[in-house]
Amino acid sequence: MHESSTPFIYNLTILLPILPFLAFVLIVLWTNRNKKLSAGLAVAGVGLSWLIGWAIAFTAFGQHGIAAQPFRMLRAWLPAGRAWQAFGFMVDPLSALMLLMVPFVCFLIFVYSVGYMGVGKPLGVHDQRGWPAEPGHVDPLASRFFAYIALFATGMIGLVLADNLIMLLIFWEIMGLCSYLLIGFWFARKYADPRKITPKEAGLKAFLTTRIGDTLMLAGMLLLFAQVGSLSFAEIFKPETLEHLATTTTHIALIGPVPWATLIAILIFCGAIGKSAQFPLHVWLPDAMEGPTPVSALIHAATMVSAGVYLIIRTFPLMAAVEHGPALQFIAFIGAFTALFAATIAVAQNDIKKVLAYSTISQLGFMFAALGIGAYVAATFHLLTHAFFKALLFLGSGSVIHGMEHGHHHGHGEAGKLVDWDIGAHGSQSTSHQSTNLPSFDPQDMRNMGGLFRRMPRTAWTFIIGGLALSGFPFVTAGFWSKDEILADAWVHGHTVVFVTLAVAALLTAFYTARQITLVFFGKPRTAAAEHAGEEDSIFRWMTIPLMVLAVFAIAFGWIGIPTTFPLLGRFSSNPFHHLMGSLAEALHIEAAELPFAATPLLTSIVVALGGLLLGWLIYRGVAEIGRREGDASWSPLHLADPLARPLGRIYTVLQNKYYFDELYGKVFVKGVQRLANWLFRFDDAWIIDPIVDGVGELWRRISEFGHAFDVRVVDGIVNGVGAVTAAAGSAARVIQTGRAQNYLLVALVALSVVLGAFLVLPK
Amino acid sequence: MVPLTWYLILAAALFCTGLFGVLARKNAVAVLMGVELMLNAVNINLLAFWRYTAPGELIGQAFAVFVITVAAAEAAVGIALFIAIYRLRDTVNVEEIDAMKG
Amino acid sequence: MTNSLLTVITFAPLLGAILTLLPWGRWLNMDREREERLIKNGAIAISLLPLGLAIGMAAGYRPAGSGFQFEINVPWIAPLHVNYHLGVDGLSLPLVFLTTLLTTLGLWYSARVIKTRVREFFFLFLLLETGMIGVFVSLDLVLFYVFWELGLVPMYLLIGVWGQPKDRPQYSAIKFFLYTMAGSVLMLLAIIGIYLSVGTFDMVEAARLKPFADNFLAASLAFWAFFIAFAIKVPSWPFHTWLPDAHTAAPTAGSVILAGILLKLGAYGILRINLPIFPQAFKAYGLVVVILGVISIVYGALVSLAQWDLKRLIAYSSVSHMGYVLLGAGAAGLAVGSQELLDSGAMALNGAALQMFNHGISTGALFFLVGVIYERAHLRDLKMFGGLSSKLPYYYGLFAVTALTSLGLPGLAGFWGEFFVFRGAFDIVRVWAAIGVIGIVLTAAYILWKIIQYVFLGQYDPHKIEHWTDLATGADGHEPTDVALFEKVTLWPLVFFMVLIGIFPAVLLNFFNGTFVNLLTGLAGK
Repeated sequence: MHESSTPFIYNLTILLPILPFLAFVLIVLWTNRNKKLSAGLAVAGVGLSWLIGWAIAFTAFGQHGIAAQPFRMLRAWLPAGRAWQAFGFMVDPLSALMLLMVPFVCFLIFVYSVGYMGVGKPLGVHDQRGWPAEPGHVDPLASRFFAYIALFATGMIGLVLADNLIMLLIFWEIMGLCSYLLIGFWFARKYADPRKITPKEAGLKAFLTTRIGDTLMLAGMLLLFAQVGSLSFAEIFKPETLEHLATTTTHIALIGPVPWATLIAILIFCGAIGKSAQFPLHVWLPDAMEGPTPVSALIHAATMVSAGVYLIIRTFPLMAAVEHGPALQFIAFIGAFTALFAATIAVAQNDIKKVLAYSTISQLGFMFAALGIGAYVAATFHLLTHAFFKALLFLGSGSVIHGMEHGHHHGHGEAGKLVDWDIGAHGSQSTSHQSTNLPSFDPQDMRNMGGLFRRMPRTAWTFIIGGLALSGFPFVTAGFWSKDEILADAWVHGHTVVFVTLAVAALLTAFYTARQITLVFFGKPRTAAAEHAGEEDSIFRWMTIPLMVLAVFAIAFGWIGIPTTFPLLGRFSSNPFHHLMGSLAEALHIEAAELPFAATPLLTSIVVALGGLLLGWLIYRGVAEIGRREGDASWSPLHLADPLARPLGRIYTVLQNKYYFDELYGKVFVKGVQRLANWLFRFDDAWIIDPIVDGVGELWRRISEFGHAFDVRVVDGIVNGVGAVTAAAGSAARVIQTGRAQNYLLVALVALSVVLGAFLVLPK
Repeated sequence: MVPLTWYLILAAALFCTGLFGVLARKNAVAVLMGVELMLNAVNINLLAFWRYTAPGELIGQAFAVFVITVAAAEAAVGIALFIAIYRLRDTVNVEEIDAMKG
Repeated sequence: MTNSLLTVITFAPLLGAILTLLPWGRWLNMDREREERLIKNGAIAISLLPLGLAIGMAAGYRPAGSGFQFEINVPWIAPLHVNYHLGVDGLSLPLVFLTTLLTTLGLWYSARVIKTRVREFFFLFLLLETGMIGVFVSLDLVLFYVFWELGLVPMYLLIGVWGQPKDRPQYSAIKFFLYTMAGSVLMLLAIIGIYLSVGTFDMVEAARLKPFADNFLAASLAFWAFFIAFAIKVPSWPFHTWLPDAHTAAPTAGSVILAGILLKLGAYGILRINLPIFPQAFKAYGLVVVILGVISIVYGALVSLAQWDLKRLIAYSSVSHMGYVLLGAGAAGLAVGSQELLDSGAMALNGAALQMFNHGISTGALFFLVGVIYERAHLRDLKMFGGLSSKLPYYYGLFAVTALTSLGLPGLAGFWGEFFVFRGAFDIVRVWAAIGVIGIVLTAAYILWKIIQYVFLGQYDPHKIEHWTDLATGADGHEPTDVALFEKVTLWPLVFFMVLIGIFPAVLLNFFNGTFVNLLTGLAGK
């Protein structure tokens, strides 16, 4: 079309996913023995992607008309029937915005991982592959880790650039695979508590749960493919195509006629439910915390979970093809419900990462709810801000955990050096014999922490900034602006139920964030590990710099989306974010005008944010102040009752057990499928099918045995009988065969005489 | 003239003597001699019927000469066989020569 | 009309088979060991000839041209009108290539693993190759039948003689043989029926003349006779029970050929004979084929989930994977004659054919990989393994790629087969397709849970298996040793194709797509 006017930089788009992929291939095939080189390759690959990505993104921001005429590089790739499907990459405002965030956050996480995995440290003598390394040592499989996360980055970068749903699905699944591999990265790890899920099981759970959603999504895509004849976004989002999808219906048993658009939209949303861990497929995400912490940040912030939201934003014209149709209502319902549901669970969790995991589910619910009510721009905004502050929080929690582990080692001196905080590897040359002497220690349990602010100031500051952003601390943090916009949208468009639900969820968010910050950083240390925790080790240099960078973005990124109608501050804002997304929305015929100012949602978000934070601080301040009791061996901070446990009673137990969804699914689906499988196998092998086959064989054998018997007894009997009769006659006749010629002559004479006699005697 | 009947009676007696020798004697040579007697009885018959029924032709004498020739050959072969058997089995008793027994 | 290329490809292995029988040791004055080495290397060298020629043929194939290429058609048994008619189109050519590739790899692998009755093994293996290639290239029904039966005997002996004694090889071999024979009898009757109806044994002619066009009952009978013969071979539920036994008992290379190619013979027959020759009957009974396919998919996957023997698990997974082929074929059958569904039908067939090829390479590779661990640990019980990914990282990498291909992970070969099958099926038989996709989830479950988790993840326990054979030296040790060079050479070509087809499926689709679009266009025109 206008090839000459396209800036050259766009031609480098294809490099963005290829660079990290190249790093993956190089590490896997050649450099995996050299951990430093592997880490360097991964960081360099994604770093280059980041730089080129930003160059492309900023070029796109400056270019008018990119929304109406996105940049595409296409090749005919897939022969399908009489036409070929073209594959390629595309840059439009949404992709550009994602490029702003994805490779950058990935890069920071990679840098952080260099420290987290202890690259450059010596290999621990007791460390085994598939177990976390002891503090101060490099992970034995660090190269593998960097290969995986490089592939992960490929998946996410490719996903946001994909020009069609098939490619999107490919990158989507590559990420699914990587999440499986990374969650189960410490594949040999076992815990003393057999009920506690191990990393390998968590990875499997994540993959299979998301696969359910993916399969439904695949079904939706294929139906769409069949209806439209193409899966390219350009084709699908043509107004006449959407019109066709919205008006033609298909008949579904028990439900009746349903517009194609609705059916396909809901099926595709199912993919997002799985990937973004929405109710009822949310169960995998908290367990995904079994992976190394940078992985949690990758999965829960920058990449995989936001892929689900990205998918819905990308296909929003399809979702909204039937205006205010059941598809959007469904999305809004699932989103709002999950936002509240997950927030309630987060309140009762003690694992620092589990709280963040549930908060992620909840925040993703915010985004879906926003999309469901048509707040297209606000959802995108929240997706981006959330990516920054959630990555920050996860990385911060990783730093805290490492600090605690270092403290634990330090606190226990030489003996502690040999401690494996879970049960060790049985029967191998491991350190497990030591672990029985010391109580197992969970460095992730917030009850074991306390007072870390003084010991890990850089981590603490950045973590608190992230936490404030998450709770939506007014006017400063990015989270405030994006969350406020969602609430405002819900309010202005009259979605009161969604508004109230989200407001309550936001209150809970602020509450559990305050609880977390209070328990971790304030008060007094409750264990020796917390007492000796620190961030002086050299690895923390790699880890804290990304934290600081992310902290800047967790605050400042919100400023690009301050509504121009906002009192006072709006005057200084040009709201570039809304401009950009608005132009895309316009090109796609989505209604996304800037909202008029409304006081109610603003006040609501200020009140819930500050109120929640204050409430959390007040309630947990007392627990935080309880210090460690030295000398009392029976005392453990784990025995401390949560201040909410008594007033909430049974409800608290239910919350702590996540509404028993794991148990329910385990009983119904996992056990159910296993039972069915075993039953079918016996049906196949022991009861029906194979016995029939063997039975037919046996039947023929019987028939042939009968034939054999018949042959032997009857047919052979006749033949042999004839022979026997002949033989008997022969032996009877042999008596006269004397061998003496005289006898024969005598017989002849007698016979002759008889004949002659007869001749003479008998009448003629 | 002596009637034909007398010749026939002589021949029959001679034949029966020979037959008895063949059937009853144990010595193979004696059996052979019996056969000779029977052949000669036939010769007598041949000549007698020639003389009394068709004296103009020499058919009877021709037959008799044939019989004598065959008898001589038969005796020669028979004796040769018996000598062979005797060498093999050390006996010419026909009761013991029963290799053909079924 | 006479191109001897296919003749050479088909009969070169037969020639090689005969050569293995000659008394080289006496002629060249070699001891037994050197003679066996000569036979092994000679067999591999001979098998490179059809492989190279197949690659050349693929390069010389014109995807745009319709109909058969590299044809040869001369009278064979003139009084019966039986012709020696060979030819390839976009469907059979990739399968010929697959056959030659897997045979060469199988011979290469066996050369280092087979220790007993070497001469007989290599003789039978090469004979088998002729039989399999012959089925793919025959365009005459009698010739087809002859090659079909020819492949049966060597496989029977391979299972029966070189099977592991504890796996009941005789029982399995006889079951395999008789089951297939039972189907063959039906096929023979149907072939004669076709001759009586249209007076030719030629497939191309028969497809043009449409036997029993005016007698639907007879057409149905012939259709089912062929279908059952092929369904046993595929194998479709409920004719599948010979497969787990045969796979379990067969030696590694035998399992590879069995899963990689012999199963494809059945699927190929459905696409080559049932669809073009009996389109009306196929349209009428397409739903049954679809249902059998869906049952095979879900049932096979569920039963795989209940297995503890690695080989048996993969055998059941083959039932599940070949179900996709049936689903695609059945859906395409239902689309016969419709212009609107032409694209969907062609894509369903594309998917079926892709699935055949991909299953060939991925399951072939899986059996090689099972062989790798079996030769070391001498057992296949999943409960006995664990934690091998830390001990055998190279093996883990190869296994993971293969397993993920089998799982249908986008970006690897297996995905495209499923994608196109369901693309077609969702347009033609939506409800059944919706049930079939359950199989995708279950496949992921048994592969990741049963295989990867039980074999590779978790803690390695040195007490479970005390004796590991080191394949490089043949000595027993206490530690497993990673993949040896010859095993890498066996597996890398297959992994290469998994990735290549996964990223750029057009290398294969180019062959399939044109052929199937032409086929369905021809059927729609009638």
